[in-house]
Amino acid sequence: MNWGPHRSLALWVLALGAAGLVRGEVYQEPDAFVAEVFGSNPTPKVLWLTKDIQTQAAAILGHPPAQLRQRHWSDAHKSVWILEEIGKEELITAGFVIAGGRIDHVRVLVYRETRGQEVRYPLFLKQFKEAKLAQGNRLDREIDGITGATLSVGAMERMARLALYLDKKSRR
Amino acid sequence: MQQSTLALALAAALANAPAFGQATVEDKLQILQQEIDDLKAQARKAAPPMQQPAPPYSPDFSSLLGRSLELGSGGTNIVGYGEVGYSKFRQSGNATADLRRFVFGFNHRFDERLTFHSEIEVEHAVVSSGDNGEAEIEQAWLNYKVSDAANVKGGLFLIPLGILNETHEPPTYYGVMRNQVETRIIPTTWRELGAGVHGIVGEGLRYEVGITTNFDSGKLDDPSTGIRSGHQEGQLANARNLAAYGALNYRRPGLLVGGGVFTGNTGQNGATNPALQGVSARLMLWDVHAHYRVAGVDLQALYAAGMLGDADKLNAVVGATATTPFAVPKSMKGSYVQAAYHAYKRGNFDVAPFVRYERIDIKQQEDLASGLLQDPKNIERIKTFGINFWVHPQVVLKADIQRNATDKSQDRFDLGLGYMF
Repeated sequence: MNWGPHRSLALWVLALGAAGLVRGEVYQEPDAFVAEVFGSNPTPKVLWLTKDIQTQAAAILGHPPAQLRQRHWSDAHKSVWILEEIGKEELITAGFVIAGGRIDHVRVLVYRETRGQEVRYPLFLKQFKEAKLAQGNRLDREIDGITGATLSVGAMERMARLALYLDKKSRR
Repeated sequence: MQQSTLALALAAALANAPAFGQATVEDKLQILQQEIDDLKAQARKAAPPMQQPAPPYSPDFSSLLGRSLELGSGGTNIVGYGEVGYSKFRQSGNATADLRRFVFGFNHRFDERLTFHSEIEVEHAVVSSGDNGEAEIEQAWLNYKVSDAANVKGGLFLIPLGILNETHEPPTYYGVMRNQVETRIIPTTWRELGAGVHGIVGEGLRYEVGITTNFDSGKLDDPSTGIRSGHQEGQLANARNLAAYGALNYRRPGLLVGGGVFTGNTGQNGATNPALQGVSARLMLWDVHAHYRVAGVDLQALYAAGMLGDADKLNAVVGATATTPFAVPKSMKGSYVQAAYHAYKRGNFDVAPFVRYERIDIKQQEDLASGLLQDPKNIERIKTFGINFWVHPQVVLKADIQRNATDKSQDRFDLGLGYMF
């Protein structure tokens, strides 16, 4: 196959043209997610990560939490936690809605990696619905992985566990 | 006495504060936090881009709203994987231990859309003219992400054929050694220089298309691995003949179904071997594959096939110029089925025994007059029985036994240790 430069150039132009028609990688801004859950933007609350909470958070994440305060939003029935965790190379930002100690729903808000976007689709995220913490701060169920997105799946699981754990601590 | 009085007064003031319209301690903390967030936001805006490298993860869980659209500019991170193996061969009784791979890579984000990805691999621990080790750039490519559905990439990147070629970190596959089908038929880890477009459409359908460098059939020197020995790996690659590739993969939780194709001429106008001038030597390589995991059962299957044109002409050239003439591969196909069961899972520990059956058929262009014959070892059946023990999702211990139907010298027991981060 002998490709002339003009044919390669045409391919690039076509690709960029098609690319311009589709959405970006910020699927929903966090404040919009919070507003969607509560119908307004409630005043955020802050959970201070005491030494005990830090220890448990580190056990869940596999590394120490990056800071000592966690902002969240809640009313009498549910809470919202917007967390970030590295998949393979970059941060995934996800919003978790917790009600009654179980995950009500999850949404990937920002995905920065070049692969593994499958974790943002409902087919994957619906596995977390109604999940709660079991022994050892693990989820009470297996989450089916996605071939080729092992690390992004792992990051989503860790964030789900952390959201449930922090919700539990915030309601004590 | 004075201290006690002061403490009592302070306590009374705090207790009475709301009654006098003063902020509570909680209110004050929130105000302080807001001020900190505002200061951080101002600092980010004031600092020039080069002075604000993206941290490995969010510096502040509590300030996400203010920086949700900052996708990290100037951030660089390091990734890596590697494996150590021990093999004891049944027939000879010999054993080897090897630091098979030590791979690290740098990834850099220039802005919210443009990223760089790389992997540098050292094989067999020592690289020198007198050793078997190799140091090589496995990947070095730039990606411009317009959206999830449309990315443009360029550089040295992996060809999307098979399952293993793009996802080859030891904790992601069963067995100490990579399977033979995705080594001898699909030449994992297979990369080419070129440009491509890729993205995900619908809910989980990933496409890849592109134009890259191709193999150089003038460089063929090992008929046991199909086309593999003609790869150029981005090293002063002869690029008169380019190749086109395309792949489609559908992924959903627990399921992968897909396939890919790679085609182009490999004669390279005789750049390596002048006798190949005017010889097309067209290569067509394709595969289909599936991976399904449910309730701890993990099933995987792959079929790959390829054709190399003008094998008779290549035979004549190789016969005339090679130190040890051989019959050139003219067609190659291979398949495997694999089943594993995650029998024990607790915490990070995950134990999964597995079995795999592989078929390799590499047909060579025989030339009886010149004494170029089919190597019987290129028709092989391999059974592998083993176990993977993940001590962490990213760290695995492995053991397996491999039995070959044709080349019994490769029957062996393997132990391995692999990691990725």
